[in-house]
Amino acid sequence: MSVQQRTLDCKDLHEYLKTLSATVLDRLYNHPATCLAVFRELPELSRLYIMRILFVDQAVPKAIMGSWVSPNSAKELEDIVKLLTELRLWQEVEMQGGLKGWLLNPTFRRNLKGALLGGGNEWSMKPPTDADPKARGIAILDEYAMGRWECVLHFMVGSHQHEVISSDALQILQHAGLMKKEPGENQLTITRDGFQFLLMDTSAQVWYFLLQYLDTATARGLDLIDCLGFLFQLSFSTLGQDYSTDSMSDGLQKFLQHLREFGLVYQRKRKDGRFYPTRLALDIASGPKKSMLNTMAATSLNQSSGYIVVETNYRVYAYTDSSLQVALIALFCELMYRFPNLVVGIITRESVRQALRSGITADQIVSFLRQHAHPECYKEPPVLPSTIADQIKLWAIERDRFVYKEGVLYNQFDSQADFEILKNYAQERGVLVWHTTHGRKMVVTKEGHEEVRKFWKRHSRNGSM
Amino acid sequence: MEDKEERIETSLVAIVIDATPAKKFASQPLDGSSMMNRIFDSLIAFGNAHLMQASHNKLAIIACNSKSTKFLYPSMDGNSRSYQNRPGQYDMFAKVDSDVRHGLGELILNDLTDNDSTKSDSLLGGAMARALCYIHRVQRELSLSHQLKPRVLVVSGSCDSALQYMTFMNVFFTAQKENVVIDCCMMDTDSGLLQQGCDITGGQYLHIPSVAGLLEYLLWVFLPSPSCRSKIVLPPPTKVDYRAACFCHHKLVDIGWVCSVCLSIFCKFSIMCTTCNTEFKLNRPAIVPAKSKKRARIE
Repeated sequence: MSVQQRTLDCKDLHEYLKTLSATVLDRLYNHPATCLAVFRELPELSRLYIMRILFVDQAVPKAIMGSWVSPNSAKELEDIVKLLTELRLWQEVEMQGGLKGWLLNPTFRRNLKGALLGGGNEWSMKPPTDADPKARGIAILDEYAMGRWECVLHFMVGSHQHEVISSDALQILQHAGLMKKEPGENQLTITRDGFQFLLMDTSAQVWYFLLQYLDTATARGLDLIDCLGFLFQLSFSTLGQDYSTDSMSDGLQKFLQHLREFGLVYQRKRKDGRFYPTRLALDIASGPKKSMLNTMAATSLNQSSGYIVVETNYRVYAYTDSSLQVALIALFCELMYRFPNLVVGIITRESVRQALRSGITADQIVSFLRQHAHPECYKEPPVLPSTIADQIKLWAIERDRFVYKEGVLYNQFDSQADFEILKNYAQERGVLVWHTTHGRKMVVTKEGHEEVRKFWKRHSRNGSM
Repeated sequence: MEDKEERIETSLVAIVIDATPAKKFASQPLDGSSMMNRIFDSLIAFGNAHLMQASHNKLAIIACNSKSTKFLYPSMDGNSRSYQNRPGQYDMFAKVDSDVRHGLGELILNDLTDNDSTKSDSLLGGAMARALCYIHRVQRELSLSHQLKPRVLVVSGSCDSALQYMTFMNVFFTAQKENVVIDCCMMDTDSGLLQQGCDITGGQYLHIPSVAGLLEYLLWVFLPSPSCRSKIVLPPPTKVDYRAACFCHHKLVDIGWVCSVCLSIFCKFSIMCTTCNTEFKLNRPAIVPAKSKKRARIE
C-alpha cells in the first residue's frame, strides 16, 4: 500500500456521469443542454469523431472509423472508444455482412443536432414574455453571487460575523464530509477535506458542492434528471437575462430556491415569476478544470481574485481586507503584519508542514497562490517564483519518504543461476520490486506473481528433465 | 522539477467568405433551393460547430465582395437585432445564425443593385487583413491566463487576382509572423496564391470537388485544430506551385523581370513598373559617358 496523500475526490462531469446508471444516462440525453455539456467535455479527438458521424444516420463500420486516425494515435482511439461506450454515447452494433460497427446514441444525436441547428427537444428555460420593470445589471448579480458564496465559506472557516447559513446548506456540508460534529459538541468543525475544499478555486468549489447536493437530491424528493437538466441549461444561459419560472414543476421550484441560497441564481422575491442566473452558475458543467468564472472574475470581480504577491524570499503580500481571504492564507503562512488593506506573511517549512498535516497538498497550495496572484504578477511570468513552487513541493515530498508496495517474496533458491534467471525474467516484465544477491532474495509485485510463478514452474520442470 | 503553468487555450477561427461567386451559385438549383443557400447554411453550421467544441472558443465571420468587406459576426452595428429562436437551438448559435444571414443578405443585395460590374475582383486580401487585425485585437484583450490559438479559414470560389498580389503576400507573411494559421477551402476554382499562403503558415489547402458536400469537407478537414491534425488522416497536401504569376499577363513565369522597388513580377521588360510607377533607368549609365565624350570633343 502506498501512503499517498488522500486528496479531495472532485470528479469532473464524465466521472460523475459514469457513476450514474444506464437508464438515468439515457433519460439525461433527452435534453439538448445536457448533450451539449457532455459533448464539450470530451477530448478533442472524440469530439471530432462525433462531429463526423453526427449527420450519418446509420452505423459506421469499425474498420472505416479506425482508418481516420494516423497509425501512431491508435492508442488514443482505443481510449475514445472506451470513453464513448462508457458514457453510452455510442454502442457496438452488428452490421450487414457481419461487420462490427458503431452507432451513435439516437437520442444524443438528435438533441446535439438540435442544439446545433435547431429542431430538437425544446429548452424548458425561457425568457418571460414581458420585460422586467426592475431589471438587474451584471454588476449587481456578480456582487450578489460572490456575497452568497463567501457566506458559506465564511461559515466554514468559522468567522462568525456573518449570518448563519440555512439548514439545507449545513446538511450538505456535513454530507460532503467538509464539516463534522464532534461527539459531545454542538459546534460544527471543519475537516481535512474542508481545508482542501477552501483552497480550490470558486468554480471547482461550486461544482463539488453541487455534486454533493445532487447525491442527496433523491432523498429530498427531487428528480435527479430534472435537476441535472436544469443545471445544464442554467450553465448555457445568458448573463443578465431573466428567465421565467412559470413552466417549472414544484420540484424544480424547490431546487431553484436552494440554488438561490448558494448564489447561483438571483431572485428578488420568491413569487417574482422570474430569476437571473449568476456567473457562478454559468458554464458550471466544465467542472473543476476550467471555467469562465476565473477568467471573467479577473476583470469584473477584482476584489475577489488576484490579490497575492509572492516574492522569492518567501514573503507573501496579500492585498485584501476580507477576513476569509486572510484566514485562507493563514492556513499555510505565518502571518507577520496586518494592515487595513494588506497582510504580510512568510512561508516557512513549519507553516507548510502544518498545512500538509491538516491534509492540504502541496499542489493545492501552489495552485491557490497561482490562481489568486496579483494582476501585476502576470506581467512578468512566471506568476509564482519557481523556487517557491519547488520548495513547497520538496517540503511535501520530505514527508513521504517511504513507498509501500504489496509484493511476494521469493527466497531459498538452490543455485545462483536459478536466482539470476528468475530475477532477469521479473525485471524484463517490470514486476520486480526489490532484490538482493546476498541471500538470493527477490520481491515481485502481486500482479506479477502469477506470471513469475508459472515461469518458475516451467523452468524447474525443464531443468529436471 | 518540472512545473508548467497551465493556460487555458482559446481557439479563434476567423472565417473569411468570398461573396463574389454568390451570383454564380445563386443560379444553380439544388433540391428546391439554390446552391448559394446550401453554401451559407453549411458555413453557419460550421461556425456553430466550432463554437460548440468548447465554451472558450471564439468565432469571427467576415465577408467580402468586389466593393466592400463586412464583419458579419460579431456584428459591428451594436444594437442587438431580435432573432427568431428555433426550438431546441442554443441561444448563442441562433444569434450567429441570424447575424450572418442578415449581414450576408445586405452585402449581396447591395451588390446586385449596383450593376456597375467593371471591377469584379473580390477584396479577399483586404478581408483577410481585417481578420488579422481582429485576431490581434482579441489577443491583446485576452486575459493573461489564456492562450489564443488563432486561425483564418478562407472560403472562396473566385480566381486569383494579380491586382491584389501585394496585399495577399503582406497578409501571408504577417500571419506567419503572428503565428496565425491560414486554411483555405476552394470551390470550383483553384488559387495558386492561397495555396502558397496555406503552405507558408502551415495551414491546410483543399480544393473541393463537389460544392454540395461543403459542410462535410469543412467538418472533416477544417474543424480539427492544427495541433490535432497530426493525429488524423487528412487529404495529402497539394503540391504547391511557387511560381509567381506575372503582373502584366497573369502567366506563371519561371524567370521574369522583378521591380527593384515593389518586387512586382513581369514577364516582359517595360520601362515603368505598372504597380508602383517606378521608372527603370537601365540604359542611363551607358548613355551618360558617351554624351560627355562628345562634349569634350566639341570643346
